[in-house]
Formats: sequence, C-alpha cells, structure tokens
Amino acid sequence: MIDHRQAFLDEARELLVELESALLEMDQNRGDAEIVARAFRALHTIKGSGAMFGFDDISGFAHHLESAFDQLRKGQLTVTTDLINLSLGAADQIKKMLDAATGQEAADTSRSEAILTELRFLRGAPDAERPPSPARTETAPAAEGGPVREWRIRFRPAPEALLNGTNPLRLLGELREMGELRVQVDTAALPPLTEKDPERCHLAWDMLLETGADAAAIRDVFIFVENDCELSIQPVEPASPAAQAPVPAASEVRRPAANSNTSSIRVSAEKLDQLVNLVGELVTVQARLGAVAGRRDDPEVRAVSEEVDRLTSSLRENSMSIRMLPLRATFERFRRLVHDLGQELHKQVELTVEGAETELDKTVIDQLNDPLVHLIRNSMDHGIETPEARVAAGKSPTATVHLSAQHSGANVLIRVRDDGRGLDVEAVRARAIEQGLIHAGSQLSEAEIVSLILAPGFSTARAVTDVSGRGVGMDVVRRNVEALRGSLEVASIPGAGVTVTLRLPLTLAIIDGLLVRVGEAYFVLPLANSLECVELTGRDIEAAHGNHLANVRGQLVPYIRLREYFRVTEERPEREQVMVVETDQGRYGFAVDQVLGDHQTVIKNLGRVYRNTSVVSGATILGNGTVALILDPNRLVQSAIRSALRTKSSGAIQSQDANDGAKNGTQRLQGEKREVVL
Amino acid sequence: MQVLTLSPGSMRLEEVLSKVILTVDDSASVRQMVKFTLSDAGYTVIEAVDGKDALTKLTGPVNLVITDLNMPNLDGIGLIRGVRANPACKGIPIVMLTTESQESRKQEGRQAGATGWIVKPFTTQQLLAVVKRLIG
Repeated sequence: MIDHRQAFLDEARELLVELESALLEMDQNRGDAEIVARAFRALHTIKGSGAMFGFDDISGFAHHLESAFDQLRKGQLTVTTDLINLSLGAADQIKKMLDAATGQEAADTSRSEAILTELRFLRGAPDAERPPSPARTETAPAAEGGPVREWRIRFRPAPEALLNGTNPLRLLGELREMGELRVQVDTAALPPLTEKDPERCHLAWDMLLETGADAAAIRDVFIFVENDCELSIQPVEPASPAAQAPVPAASEVRRPAANSNTSSIRVSAEKLDQLVNLVGELVTVQARLGAVAGRRDDPEVRAVSEEVDRLTSSLRENSMSIRMLPLRATFERFRRLVHDLGQELHKQVELTVEGAETELDKTVIDQLNDPLVHLIRNSMDHGIETPEARVAAGKSPTATVHLSAQHSGANVLIRVRDDGRGLDVEAVRARAIEQGLIHAGSQLSEAEIVSLILAPGFSTARAVTDVSGRGVGMDVVRRNVEALRGSLEVASIPGAGVTVTLRLPLTLAIIDGLLVRVGEAYFVLPLANSLECVELTGRDIEAAHGNHLANVRGQLVPYIRLREYFRVTEERPEREQVMVVETDQGRYGFAVDQVLGDHQTVIKNLGRVYRNTSVVSGATILGNGTVALILDPNRLVQSAIRSALRTKSSGAIQSQDANDGAKNGTQRLQGEKREVVL
Repeated sequence: MQVLTLSPGSMRLEEVLSKVILTVDDSASVRQMVKFTLSDAGYTVIEAVDGKDALTKLTGPVNLVITDLNMPNLDGIGLIRGVRANPACKGIPIVMLTTESQESRKQEGRQAGATGWIVKPFTTQQLLAVVKRLIG
C-alpha cells in the first residue's frame, strides 16, 4: 500500500496545480461550465482517491469543497471572488495536509475548520450532508458462523441482463460457494425457437441453499441485479428437496489476450540525474576510445569505436529527452502569483501564456522559477500602473503580463512582457552616471541605456526603484540566468511596457560541439549555431587589407581570430580555417588553425574562480585527457565588439570583458584582451 | 507450466488464459491500485485515462471494464453508453467506481447498462470480490 500512497501524494499535488489554475481561470471566465467541471473533477479525485488510500482528513475536507463545486456545476451557486479566494485558501490547506502526510509538520486543523465554516456561509445553506462513511461494504460479509439453515431462492433476471454484462451462472456459482446448492431451471417463459432472441435471458431458477450465511449475505450476491430482477429469498423449514437440474452450459470463449499497456511510470528525478551523469561519463570514455582507435590503424577497432559512438549518441539523446519537461506546470503556477500580487497591489492584471508546451531540461526548469518570479514581481510592482493611472493614460484598466516560450536553435527563448509604463530611460541614465557606470558625455542609444539595468551594482541600489520604476535585483536575475548558461535582454517602449527575454540552453549537461584547435589549445563551439567552415589563406587576408573580413561566397563576414583573442603565441599556420557562426549580432566567423570535427561535449563547470568569465561557458575533457574550453559565440562577439569600440572612443562603458579579464586565472584568459579590429 | 488440452471435458480455454480487465480512471493512483491488485490475482490489466481513451482500447479483447464516473473528455456514463452501443463489445460486464453513493448517479449508470458498481473508498478485497463475481 505504501507505493499507492506515494502515487496518490504525487497525483494530489498535480491535481492541486490543476485546481488552482482552474480557479484562476474561473475568475476571468465566470460563466464557463467546463472550467467549473475541471475544478470539480480535481476535487472529486482528491476526495475519492484520498479516501482510498487512507487520507480521511484530506478526503473529508475535499468533500465539502466538492459539494460546493457540485452546486456551482448545477447552477445552484454562482462564482464569486470570495468563493475563489476561499477555494484557493482551501487548496493551500490541502497542500499542507499532504505535506503533513509526508512527515512534515501537521496541518492546522483549526484553519480547516475556519475554511469550512466560511464555505458553509458562502453556500448559504446548513451543511446537511455528511462526508461519505469510509469503506462501505458491498460484498458478501460471508457470515458463515451462523446456524446452518435452508433457503428457498427464486431468481429471474431481467431479459436484458445478459446484454448488460450480467452472467447469471456466476451468481449461481457464488451461491454454490456459500453452501450446498440445488438448482432447478424454469424454462416456462422460453419462447418458441423461431421467436427467441438469443441475446435475451428467458430463464428463471429455483434453488435450495443450505448455508450458515444469513439472508443479507445471500441478497448481497444479487446486489447488482436486485433492482431489475425477480428475486425472492425465503427460509424453509425441513426441506422438501427439489429435483436436481443440470446447470445449462452457456459459455463464452474469448480469444486469448496478453496485451499489457503501460502509459507511463514515475521515476525519481535523482535517478534520472544519475543516468545523465553516467551517460556523460560514457561519452567521455567513448571519446577516449575514439582517440585510441584513431591512433591505431586497426580497422576492426575503428569499426567497434564507431559503433559505440553511434550508440552513445542515441543513448545520450534518449536520456536527455527523458528529462525534458513542458513548461506548462511552471507557467501555470504563476497564475496564482499574479492573482495574489494583483490583490495585494490593487492592480488588475491578467496573465496570458503562450508556448507552454515548449520542453526544457528539468534542471533548467527547476532553476527558472526564481528568476521568473522576480521578473513578474518587478513587472507587477513597478511596471504596471494602477487601474486609474492606466485609464488616464488611455489604456485598458486591466494590465497584461504575457509569458511566452519558443524554441530558437539549441536555445529556448522565454519572454516576460508587460504593458505597463516602461522604463524611464533618463532616470536610468542619470543613475548610471551617478554610479560611474558611464561617463556623463557618453553617446548611448536607448537600448544600450536600458540594458544598463542589468549591470552589476546598478540595480542593487534600492533608491533607484522609486526613480526608474524598476531595477531591484535585475542583476540577481541575470546571475541566475547566466548560471544556466543563458542570457538576458531587456527592451522597453516608454508608455507601452517592458519585455525581458531569457535565452536558455535546452540542456545543461551535454551538447553537440565542434572541436577546433588553435596552436596547442583546443576549443569547442556549439554545433547548433555553426553554419559552415571556410578556408582563410594569406591571399585572402591581403585582399581584405588587414581587416578581419572573410569572403564567404561573395559576402563579407567579419571574423574574430581566436589566436589573437586568447593570445596564443605559437606560429600562425599558412592556412587558417574560419568557422561561420550565427550569433545574436548576425553572422560572425572565428578563425582557428584547424577544425577537428564534431564532438559530443560533456559540459563541466569551470568552478568559482571562473564564474565571471562570460565568453567561456564551461570546459570539457577530450579523449586524450586534454581540457578544451567551450566558447559562447554570442558573448565572444559582444566582447570583441566592446573592446573594438573601446579603442575607438575612449569614453567607454565599463564593460563585461574587462571584468572577465580581471578575474581570470588561466594563462590564456589572463590579462586584458587585445583589441579586435573589425 | 500448465499443459493445455482441449479435449472435451477438460478445462475451458477461457479459464486457462488470463482475462483482460480495462481500468478506466483519470486518477493514476486508483488505476495503479486496481492494476496491482488485479495483476496479482492473475488478470491482465490495461489502463485508460478517460472514457475516450477507453473506447480506443476496447478494440482488443476485454473481459471486464472497471470505470470511474467523473472523468474529463468522456465520463463513465458516456463510456458505458458507448460500450453498450458497440456490437463488438456485447455483454461485457462493466463495473462503475463511484464516490457518489447517491442513488441518482448509480441509477443513471445502471440505465446506461452498467453491470455493477463499487463505492469508493473500497479495499482490494472488495475489488477482487466484485471482479470474481462478474468474470470469475
């Protein structure tokens, strides 16, 4: 039973989420019967299954709520804000009771009482009905301890009994198990063969049963049919035995079947993490095997290695896909947040959701909650105006917070958009100057100013909130998102709202990468963004007059020479290769000595020391034991652009990569970046 | 290993091969409990999450249907009507699981053609007793 109880607890938690989202939708669509039915069903299942698995307190509590929703369903009650708020409170209470069942502190029963009292009041009627009495027995109690008596039983099933799935022979068989049974069939009602409908039952049985069971137990055998059959059960005094009649053999032989159908199983997240870790190790070992096979000129070993490579890739993809979950549950949870915050702040806010079916790695989803809560809170707290102010600005009094998710290559974009007042660009600018982030004379576009609110140090100043109307903890959000190897962008339209875009990787553990070499250093570029690879000869460089521009089929593509960026000192080869990569800033190339090929990359974190290294998103171990850094092309390009700008105008932004440089410990990443001329 | 002889007077085929029971419930925990209990007793159990799902799974041989009444998409009553309307499923016993001990709901189910019912909460023994009563 332990297993079932755990299954119930998991299920009940899901049902509560469903209930909550139904309640919140109900608030916006008060007439929608389907939503009421959803809430009812959730409560109904919590009640029913709760009682099944011994959670009588939860079941009893849910019963009262269910009754209220039954009334709603039948139109005997109307949806009110009070009722919705009370029900939300009740859902929380059930959650506490579930927690109590897993050994956490006991739920406050007086709170339950208070909710139920208020519920009775809202329902406007004394709560006459009682919760169902537990475990009503409907099967034979088989009280065979009583004195053995003889019973005369006459049974004539309804003609359509067979069609409804009743097999009278089973019933007779059950009686036989209770004691000595003698049966006589009554065929009097049987029509002539030509008129007989073989699917209808025309027979009746007279039986004599000698048993220690009482009349109730005998009647219980017929419980499913007693309402539409002819049945009499009478005790007989010393019996006059009826003639024995053979039981008519009516049998149905069905085809054999053994098709078992399991739709899904529950596995603990821990086990999945373990699996993914093991797959990660396997991928690393596979890389070693590949390297060994490559060195030995043995076709047999090579064939095995290729086979293992293929299998590891599909194993990797499979185990990764297991961890992918739709964002729906996360998004739905925010309905509650928006509802509660709206009440608290006296603002009317509607949450709209788009792309909730988008799937993301579970570990990413788990860590996504906090940043999103922060962003929504910010929007509602500072971005969205009061209903009066909105009306004065010519907007609808009800504001919208829009949450959306969509795929973009190996990333998922999650947007939080509000239609509030937007950022006060001048205030942000003033504050940034005050904090020394920019010089008073810097020429910055509005977009650049807006992005300053993400800068560390900027937003931690509480006073800004009042001026700019936003900003508390934005760098915290940024750090959270960057810990997920994601990035953050802010766009603001004055008077029309703010959109924050989170760009997140699909998965955290293993990616498809492209392994490149510069001198003796190895780097990995994410394969998902890579477009093509072109050669770069001395003649090409000459043709571009020293500018870092590659000619890709007539198009000029700017490139960054990793050799220069990372200050690799070895001799430059005659021919270089340029990887063309799609970045946020458009197409860019990365010039390397050699492109070695694709590589299943197990991402290892670089550790605390390199936390602020933005251009490197991690490291991986190659087959020969060498460490390769995993590059973030977007950051790399941004950083290169910034350092290029810095050399052009000395009134510079205190940029991210300067930060990087200061904290870097490795030789390659050490020191100031050399400017990259574009 | 049981030897299967089909000579007259021997064990009937249906008694040797495991019977198939379809459990229909939107509650995974109830489905799990039904499945565990009945699989233990030697039945083959297949699952459906609602009435609609159940109708698609009734294309194979099924000896008994155990269905909840309140479900999304197609509720228990609708499922019972659907099964009874399908000539291929003629006479399959259907047990409804109900927490509503109110007579009206039960009556509705019976009129739709349900064979029996079990009132939730029920024990595994009660479940087995009902299944045995209907299909042995």
